[in-house]
Amino acid sequence: MHPSGSDGFCKVWDCCFIKNHCKIERCIIGNRCRKISISRFPGKSQKTTESAFFFEIKECTTKNRGYFACFARIVTAYVKVGGDSYKLTLLQRLMMREIGCKELFTGDCGPNKHSCRINEKAFTNAYGLLLSYQGVTVMIGKKSLHDIINELRTNENIVNWFEIEPQEAKAAPFPEDINEKLRAALERRGIANLYTHQDSAYRTAVKGENIVAVTPTASGKTLCYNLPVLQEIANDDTSRALYLFPTKALAQDQMSELNEIIAEMGIAIKSYTYDGDTSPAIRQIVRKAGHIVITNPDMLHSAILPHHTKWVSLFENLKYIVIDELHTYRGVFGSHVANVIRRLRRICSFYGSNPTFICTSATIANPKELAEQLTGSPMRLLDNNGAPRGRKHFVFYNPPIVNEPLNIRKSATVEVNNLAKEFLKNKIQTIVFARSRVRVEIILSHIQELVKNEIGTKSIRGYRGGYLPKQRREIERGLRDGEILGVVSTNALELGVDIGQLQVCVMTGYPGSIASTWQQAGRAGRRHGEALIVMVASSTPIDQYIVQNPDYFFERTPEHARINPENLLILVDHMRCAAYELPFKTTEEFGPLDISDILEYLQEERVLHRNGDTFYWSAQSFPASEISLRSASQENVVIVDQSNIAAVKIIGEMDRFSAMTLLHDEAIYLHQGIQYQVEKLDWEHKKAYVREVDVEYYTDANLAVNLKVLEIDKTIAKGQAVVNFGDVAVTMIPTIFKKIKLTTFENIGSGPIHLPEEELHTSATWLELKEVDPEIGTKTLEQLLLGIANVLQHIVPVLVMCDRSDVHVTPQIKAAHTGLPTIFIYDHYPGGIGLADDVYKRFNEVSEAAKNLIQKCPCKDGCPSCIGTEIAGLNGKKKTVQILSLLQ
Amino acid sequence: MSSMRERMNRLRGSQGSSAIDEQSAQSENQTVNMPEALSANAAQETEAASALESPAQDVHEAVWQRLQVAERSSKWGSFLQREVRYPLQYQHGHHLLAELAETAEHLRVFHPEETGLPAPSLENLLFLDLETTGLGAGTGNIPFMVGLGYVQNEQFVIAQYLIRHPAEERAMLADLQTRMEDFHYLVTYNGRTFDWPVLAGRFIMNGLGRAELRLKHLDFLHPSRSIWRNTLASCKLSYVEEERLGIHRVDDVPGSQAPAIYFQFLADSNPSPLEGVFVHNELDMLAMACLSIRFGRLLDNRISGEVYAPKKPEEWIRTGLWLERMGQARQAEAIFHMVMEADPKGESSLMLLAARDKKVGNWERAVLLWQKVAMTAHVEFAAVYEAFIELAMYYEHRAKQPETALTYAHGAQSAISERALLQRADAKRRAEQAALTKRIERLKRKLSR
Repeated sequence: MHPSGSDGFCKVWDCCFIKNHCKIERCIIGNRCRKISISRFPGKSQKTTESAFFFEIKECTTKNRGYFACFARIVTAYVKVGGDSYKLTLLQRLMMREIGCKELFTGDCGPNKHSCRINEKAFTNAYGLLLSYQGVTVMIGKKSLHDIINELRTNENIVNWFEIEPQEAKAAPFPEDINEKLRAALERRGIANLYTHQDSAYRTAVKGENIVAVTPTASGKTLCYNLPVLQEIANDDTSRALYLFPTKALAQDQMSELNEIIAEMGIAIKSYTYDGDTSPAIRQIVRKAGHIVITNPDMLHSAILPHHTKWVSLFENLKYIVIDELHTYRGVFGSHVANVIRRLRRICSFYGSNPTFICTSATIANPKELAEQLTGSPMRLLDNNGAPRGRKHFVFYNPPIVNEPLNIRKSATVEVNNLAKEFLKNKIQTIVFARSRVRVEIILSHIQELVKNEIGTKSIRGYRGGYLPKQRREIERGLRDGEILGVVSTNALELGVDIGQLQVCVMTGYPGSIASTWQQAGRAGRRHGEALIVMVASSTPIDQYIVQNPDYFFERTPEHARINPENLLILVDHMRCAAYELPFKTTEEFGPLDISDILEYLQEERVLHRNGDTFYWSAQSFPASEISLRSASQENVVIVDQSNIAAVKIIGEMDRFSAMTLLHDEAIYLHQGIQYQVEKLDWEHKKAYVREVDVEYYTDANLAVNLKVLEIDKTIAKGQAVVNFGDVAVTMIPTIFKKIKLTTFENIGSGPIHLPEEELHTSATWLELKEVDPEIGTKTLEQLLLGIANVLQHIVPVLVMCDRSDVHVTPQIKAAHTGLPTIFIYDHYPGGIGLADDVYKRFNEVSEAAKNLIQKCPCKDGCPSCIGTEIAGLNGKKKTVQILSLLQ
Repeated sequence: MSSMRERMNRLRGSQGSSAIDEQSAQSENQTVNMPEALSANAAQETEAASALESPAQDVHEAVWQRLQVAERSSKWGSFLQREVRYPLQYQHGHHLLAELAETAEHLRVFHPEETGLPAPSLENLLFLDLETTGLGAGTGNIPFMVGLGYVQNEQFVIAQYLIRHPAEERAMLADLQTRMEDFHYLVTYNGRTFDWPVLAGRFIMNGLGRAELRLKHLDFLHPSRSIWRNTLASCKLSYVEEERLGIHRVDDVPGSQAPAIYFQFLADSNPSPLEGVFVHNELDMLAMACLSIRFGRLLDNRISGEVYAPKKPEEWIRTGLWLERMGQARQAEAIFHMVMEADPKGESSLMLLAARDKKVGNWERAVLLWQKVAMTAHVEFAAVYEAFIELAMYYEHRAKQPETALTYAHGAQSAISERALLQRADAKRRAEQAALTKRIERLKRKLSR
């Protein structure tokens, strides 16, 4: 049924732009008009636009297009609904008239008049009529988040709905001894009292006790350290503090916040960021006169510590060292940073200062342990969070199954796109998290395409490592002031970069760890108001495991953050830096290990010169410049855009190992939603030359891996299997890449990759099967091992809390050293960072979780969400569980 | 021990050669590159050592003696010192060291604000040059040799401190600190950004306090750059002395090789190769003394007719500009006048003088200079273009002769078009072109009114 006017006119809504402000989407084909949407009424009453409404007419058809011409003319009309004044277009009025509400308008509202009044009651009735009109769906007004939440409740794909109750603030009065000016400044900023955790942080820190405060996002954690620091400096002008943030962006943020408070206080306290962007002229001032120096570990490592004699006034008077986002210092990065802090403490003691550490961390299982390991100092844990919190809805969304036997679900990416579209077009500020840089770009371009008619593509942006700092700052600012409505990000925005309060957070797949998930969820809804968090599960085993076992997620303590500052490579590197900074005494300590061996080794290498009981740096090089804290490989690949020969420019960089699979020749590299093709990867000079292209696919590369056992350190028998821990040599070489179509994700071609082999010596845990049911053929066994490896690759990073890329799993049907079927789990960093060791210690837990996952998977006999699809028809699930059961 | 090395090598795997390998490779090269005289020397000594079969130490002792190196001790410990004395009548390149006596006082203008301080003189100048184990002012960069120069008893004394190992540094620095108290001026070459910051850091590292430099610094790198930029390929001291001071070093060990030689010495205690470093440092000190004489003479208006009088107009102009900055306006003006008299052709450096004239409002000569540049062929394009633009600006805004201005603007236009044939247009060029087009249009409008 099609609506047609009482006057016999038929209405066809064609694509029609009325003064560029409202759009009617075209769907003339087959005389079907899908949608009319009128959104945003600009003009003088700009203020009202935010709550403007739109009509959506779906599936209305008609034969006559004649009516159309008059739409082009606009007569301004206003309607008052609920106290708000709306401007109406002729189009709307015509529509209403069409459905028989001529009485709607009072006064003259002819085509040449510029305003008229609308009878409010009649207007409401008219909508009622519109709504009831057969075959026409009309939606009035923008949907609020609350409406969407209610709609979602009935969505059949929602598998778990968890509500986090709002929490009232727990407050404490300002401590009595607090500096008057500081108190007054805070009060002027609307802070009349402290939350309980801020209060205890202050009281503990001023006593000189090291603290680690565990606080969720937006709980006012910055006051935990700013309060004691400002208090100290306000009382004693010579005092100094050092703030460490994991990224430059966070440091910038912090400085502006700090400077606002300082300005309010009216005391000349100088706080500066000190990073790669700081100009030489400012650097002088920061060194000599900065009360609070805000920097990052990399800068501390390569610019401050090796030049400590220029920072005498800082190191002599250092009272506090603040380490924010403590939980980010884990894995390789954390292991490096722990050593940087050893160097820092060494230099402090040289200058006679003994600073107090104030750390803040997101929720992890072992904040105290991590802080103690990282700083080498005893810590007091503070976790009495007193900040208020709005209601949060945490929803698990499992895409529908599209292939029953194979348990293949609809792509999470597609579902995320649709969900995000719904939020964005209702002007609800939304953040979408994706797990990889490539995924970010894919989702970004899809969403931009989906909503380009409702809102501009510019108000939806991508955010990830590899973007240049300036771009990032612009995006952060845009999110804060609401100019940017949506952002698609990697976990780069998991950290406390200030992007204001977002209403909705959508995760594309499980972020990989409980802690990380809560961090991402914290991006939606800060102190007040409702917030919605949707985790859309992908088909991977762990995602399916999580959504089907919500208790695992909601009731389990978050993961442990692990570091291994004693990784020999890392330790030796930092001992070189430390020796450069100050000579080593033979009696000196540098962490828990006995370092005399290392000192002697460095002497042998002619890096150190021994005289009496002292080792002196004696090499020409500048060791800190050779050591990067962030990546396994020291050299990054620089990405050069040569689309415009006359203006070749660098658009980003990438670490060496990632570049092997993302920047090989012919790879499609996505950057800010723009596709580039790699024309040439110059491996020797670490440069990738790219050119802008417009293609319908992205690329995905395969990596061939080989393993050799070097040394077995620990071994334990588990039933008919043996689990070992030790050192291995891993060789990697990228083999081929596939071209995958953007829209359908089907494989549309492939090509070879020619890159040299990379070798990695690291620690591994491996499982050898001594005896296997002889009825299982070699081929089947191989597939079973693949299946188990597949499951482990997903489970292990979750259990030991690391990035997916930090730990790798490789099966071998005949391991080179024993000829036995073996599965290797190894650290993806030279020398290992303690992950495989952790797996060894918790092997029962790991195999139990793997078994559980396979058993709970709803598929018949293997699917990509558990053991993969290769084993179809072989009763693979049962056999796999059997094998895993042998390990008891 | 070797197990540690094994472990490290295994972990490094194929991560490529370590920094250490590179370094040792480097030092090998350097040994090969050592000046013949020195390596011959060294070879002789090693031969001698093996022939006599006496302990290496004795041989080393002999070398120290030959190098005039003696141990110095104080309550802080001991270190080595080599002392070389030159009579003031020593002629080094163009200059006689004795000239320092009459010229030093003219250096006073480097610190015009210091009225209470005695003027620089033969006795109160301390020349200083460090040889360090690395680059930059990082805390691991150790000055293993401190070269000092000063005049004592009618002799130019070069005292070179050397530490046998890093533990001796403190004693050496403490001695240096005391020694510095006897002087008022510190003469260096790039000491502002290198030698002094390194020393200040080392004083702190060795617990000798945070020292502000009490001496007034005379860093001759900056004036050298002012005068010889462009006319010399580099303003490195060794280059300046060769090209402008008439000093020719034979078999000099470049300063860049000093660290490797010192590390070798740390490893094998053989002092022979250090001779090259001592000599290099000694020559640097002499060169600095000569530079002091040169700058003193320039400031004393002793230029024309001297052997070292500039050959090129550019050097003359830059000398004049420098003198003017140093407060020697009359002298500078005389030089500018002389340059104009000589009527140099095809000199883009005239633009420097023109810019100076424009700044002080000497329009007459500025216009003359611009015209000279604009009208000469074979001058750098950029200068020609700039000259035309300056002229166009002058005639439009100052002389109020739009017609003439337009002629010059067209001149600039044709200069641009000529260049366009040779070079690709980048953003800056396009902006230039746009501005020029605008100027021409504006002038045309003015004329049509």
